[in-house]
Amino acid sequence: MQFQKEVEIRAPREKVWKFIWDVDRFIACVPGCKEAKTLEEGKRYSAIMTEKVGPFKVEFPTTIEVLERDELTHIKAQAAGADNKIGSRMKIDLDVNLRAENDNTILGFVAGVDILGKLAALGHGIIKRKADQVLDEFARSVKQKLEGDA
Amino acid sequence: MLGRFRLEEPEKLAEASELLGRYGESAKIYAGGTELLLAMKEGLVRYERLINVKKLGLNQIGSENGALKIGALCTHRELENSPLLQQRLPAFANLEHHVANVRVRQAGTLGGNLCFAEPHADPGTLLIALEAKMIAARGESTRAISAEAFFVDAFETSLAADELLTEIHVPAPDSERKCAYLKFGYLERPSVGVGIALSLRDGGVSDVRIAVGCAGPAPRRVPEAEALLSGKSKDEATRNLGQAGAIAGRASEAISDLHGAQDYKEHIVGVLLKRAFQSAVS
Amino acid sequence: MALAARRQDRQTIPVSFTLNGRQQEIDVEPHELLLDVVRDRLGLTGAKRSCDVEVCGACTLLVDGRPVSACTTLAFEVRGRSVLTIEGLAENGKLHPLQEAFIEHGGFQCGFCTPGMILAAKALLDENPDPSEAELKHFMHGNLCRCTGYKKIIESIMAAAKKMRA
Repeated sequence: MQFQKEVEIRAPREKVWKFIWDVDRFIACVPGCKEAKTLEEGKRYSAIMTEKVGPFKVEFPTTIEVLERDELTHIKAQAAGADNKIGSRMKIDLDVNLRAENDNTILGFVAGVDILGKLAALGHGIIKRKADQVLDEFARSVKQKLEGDA
Repeated sequence: MLGRFRLEEPEKLAEASELLGRYGESAKIYAGGTELLLAMKEGLVRYERLINVKKLGLNQIGSENGALKIGALCTHRELENSPLLQQRLPAFANLEHHVANVRVRQAGTLGGNLCFAEPHADPGTLLIALEAKMIAARGESTRAISAEAFFVDAFETSLAADELLTEIHVPAPDSERKCAYLKFGYLERPSVGVGIALSLRDGGVSDVRIAVGCAGPAPRRVPEAEALLSGKSKDEATRNLGQAGAIAGRASEAISDLHGAQDYKEHIVGVLLKRAFQSAVS
Repeated sequence: MALAARRQDRQTIPVSFTLNGRQQEIDVEPHELLLDVVRDRLGLTGAKRSCDVEVCGACTLLVDGRPVSACTTLAFEVRGRSVLTIEGLAENGKLHPLQEAFIEHGGFQCGFCTPGMILAAKALLDENPDPSEAELKHFMHGNLCRCTGYKKIIESIMAAAKKMRA
């Protein structure tokens, strides 16, 4: 599943970039994400991603690897997690792009999400909608935190 | 194999409410089990307690001032075979006749179907078109939730965690009120469902209610499509069916999945709306 | 000691029911499925676990004459009821007309779906002794067969119905 989102943030690029690497505050913007940890500064992080669809709950302990880092412009990362209680695995390929527009920053995400195992059988369509919602909320949360700080 | 759980068998509604309140998310209402047990078998959900509600006597079908009162614990089989429903709401009895297969109809209940809120289900869609009300009980108090407001999202209703669905009320259908439900799909569960209700009077169509289901996460009423048909002559309404169908298709929030691509489902919504309308007015 | 104490804590439900015409008394735990009890504890392996999601009908049993998916029925639900498995259909060694018809008309090949098929057909004919083909197909819709293409199954059931009406 592919997702794309762009959000315009009334903040300079340096501020947005700094925010991204402030792991605790950044992860706090992902709905259902908790216990963010830095395993290796700038390289590896962990978090627990939780989500709920009706009575169904998932909890993915996730490891995030930063694969590429272009100062102030681009991050490439990969996240992988497994919910062994349900028997499902998740993999996300994430591209984060920043570009300046006047005094603002355009923050863009491109995410390739793979859900494997029982959860995928549950309903590809439901998962897609949920993931879309999560990404939406995430982008909004980031924007709010950064603009609110001014 | 299912995970181990404790069985509670309340014999009074107040008991059931109390159990729900006490055990919260570690307990679940168990009726026919046709959806719940599947999810439990797959390990997608786990409960410490199942609350068997089949001893609460909620499986009556009756009529009061012409309005139909259907107990939430009525099985699909009881509904398809009910002489009262066959006479007063043949479209609904026919819908129940085509739910799943004969074994699921034997065990599965209408209430369970509505509360589990699986997107690919039939009854909710027609109940919205019929302007039904869901009666929810918590302890001694009850409230009525319109079918339209009952379905929030996939697997999510507007019932509170400690509320029980006890009855479904369908307002008195009069002789001028026509309704129809059509569904489409080749998989085990329906892929697209459209329900329509309208009044036919002197060649004019009024008070149209349209609902679409199965294609998206929850069944939805489509007032914008209704407006194209309501208050029109039969001929004019028929001419507007294409546009109404397109609107209804988009309103269905169709998701591309194994049941079909989004645009395919939207198209089928339009086809079914046309046919359901024609079936209702003929 | 702790294990035994935990076991004592387990809830069991006494289930008194008739199985193929004979009275049975067993204790089941709430989570036990009817299919497992019938196959593993009672040794009646005619009913099969196939899809495990109530779709295929290979696990069909008759409870109070009505077809259920034993794979998704909790065992305690048969308390006070009568259960019929394929093993209970023949009486004193004489095959039921449905069983005879399936043999005579080639209504099975591998036989995997057959116990469920025949029990479902029995429920149909007990309810509707003279079904139209459309009614038959609607009722039997939930019993799947991968071998026969269904034509011979329909013929078998119709033939049995005719014999049973005579």
